[in-house]
Amino acid sequence: MATRVNPNIGRISGYFLLNLVTGIFWFVLLVTLGAVSIGTAVIWVGIPLGVLTMVLARGAATAERAWLRAALGVDIPQPYRPLPATVTGRAKAMAKDPATWRDFAYWLIMLPLGALEFSLTVALWSAVLGTVFLPFYLHWLPATWEVTFPGGTVWLIDSFINALPVSVLGLLLGVVAYRLLKALGQGHAVLAQSLLGPSRYGVLEAKAEQLSASRARGVEAAEAERRRIERDLHDGAQQRLVAVAMGLGRARGKMESDPDAARELIAEAHADAKLAISELRDLARGIYPSVLGDRGLDAALSSLAARSPIPVEVEVDVEPRPPTAVESTAYFTVAETLTNIAKHSGATQARVKVSRTENSVVVEVTDNGRGGAEVRPGGGLAGLADRAATIDGVVVVVSPIGGPTVIRTELPCAW
Amino acid sequence: MRVVIAEDSVLLRVGVQRLLADEGIETVAAVDDGGALLAAIDEHRPDLALVDVRMPPTFTDEGLRAAIEARKRIPNLPVLVLSQYVEERYAVELLAGGANGIGYLLKERVADVSEFVAAVRRVAEGGTSIDHEVITQLMVRAKRNPVDSLTQREREVLGLMAQGLSNAAIAASLVVSDGAVEKHVGNIFAKLGLEPSTSEHRRVRAVLAYLNLG
Repeated sequence: MATRVNPNIGRISGYFLLNLVTGIFWFVLLVTLGAVSIGTAVIWVGIPLGVLTMVLARGAATAERAWLRAALGVDIPQPYRPLPATVTGRAKAMAKDPATWRDFAYWLIMLPLGALEFSLTVALWSAVLGTVFLPFYLHWLPATWEVTFPGGTVWLIDSFINALPVSVLGLLLGVVAYRLLKALGQGHAVLAQSLLGPSRYGVLEAKAEQLSASRARGVEAAEAERRRIERDLHDGAQQRLVAVAMGLGRARGKMESDPDAARELIAEAHADAKLAISELRDLARGIYPSVLGDRGLDAALSSLAARSPIPVEVEVDVEPRPPTAVESTAYFTVAETLTNIAKHSGATQARVKVSRTENSVVVEVTDNGRGGAEVRPGGGLAGLADRAATIDGVVVVVSPIGGPTVIRTELPCAW
Repeated sequence: MRVVIAEDSVLLRVGVQRLLADEGIETVAAVDDGGALLAAIDEHRPDLALVDVRMPPTFTDEGLRAAIEARKRIPNLPVLVLSQYVEERYAVELLAGGANGIGYLLKERVADVSEFVAAVRRVAEGGTSIDHEVITQLMVRAKRNPVDSLTQREREVLGLMAQGLSNAAIAASLVVSDGAVEKHVGNIFAKLGLEPSTSEHRRVRAVLAYLNLG
């Protein structure tokens, strides 16, 4: 789960210098409070104290996450499970949440680790500074150094020139210090991510939760769709065909006695039959437009735009052709949005723009209506979001009062 | 007049055959897929091919592809394509080889027998008949602006004009006077910058030319 970061050395050093203070402070506070609360648990005082300890550990961890983001540039999401509303419920949930205990673990490690990081930072940088600038302050030092190499050569460090090699060695040490602290900083970031961030299990759990929610909504949406089709068939074409059959039946009865009335009935039945055909055509097309599979999104949107009661401008550029599920989700998103615009927005003009990025399709529908569109559970926009969510897509609605409204759907082409 | 019918639904194939027979139009072959259509056209050299878009084996657009192929083999062979849905994209592909003797109508237009038979005869004579729904779609997707400046009524008239209707037929269809239609037609030609014409065929061609087709 850890992502690599590349903070600069100054930030790492600054962070390490402060770690001694934060490490000692939180270690002492949490360990003391923790010990006291365990010790006093039998007389009940320990329980609120224990809760306080957990709250402090979590609060400190939250601050540390923000601080880590600023200092090391590592982004650590909150790992905590959602808390219930009641006080006792919250306390229990915190105690049961492994993230709380991983926060504790982080603060326990922070004392020795912070001390180590602090000492290394101070020692390395002082050594580097001391050696690099030795030639410049050598003059004011009371003593000189003698280095005797094996073989008997003696190196006397007593002048600016003689001390220059030390300076060079200091620069080399600087490189080592740079590398070491950088690696340590990255190591710390990894440790922080693994202890302060969501565990692999937690990440998978959250993903699973999200998937099962979106699947449930997808199933519900399909169910609602089936009900709508049944209702449309029942109220529309079916009734009309009954009327056609009835009209023809009556016409047959009147054929001999009243040919004029019969003719009129037949004309009515004819008109009803044509209406039924056109309703069935609309319905079938609404279930799946075959041109979408044949010729793609661009071709399929023409008839949607032509059927809209308000003028629609269409601009489509989706090469290379996206997967079928993305195409049909994009198509139905546009269809539903145009229907909503015609019904609710009071717009006189709409624009559909479909574009392709490397790994997604972006559908943007803009209208010049009155705005104020909201995503409400069970509403049309929530339905759009549910539809998009089934393929991991995201819907963004921007609709200030007074308009214009922009509904932007981004559908990933790989999910 | 001799026609070949390609339609996979038996009900419709036989129905259309009877309907045409009532009007004295002979069906020389009735087939149910694209390959058989091409063979029948080669064999019978009909005056018109009546083709359904969606046929076996893939049930997508084989009728359309067969029609285009047939017109490649026999240039200007009159073809009337019928479909459950009409799509401007299909119309564009169909008209790419020229608008002479091309018809593209919703299948349900068959229900208005006299108009349907008139369209069959017009296409067989080298005329054009395009469903007004196609024209509406084409106008939405047209990049040029003057189409936007047409009024709702003018769009309707334009759609009917593209079907190949005369002014009188348009007037009857919209339940307005002939004079009103004449005025609308005049305005449309003026707005689109086209030469006015009274010949139905030339009017269809003008509209298609304007929409970059035919």
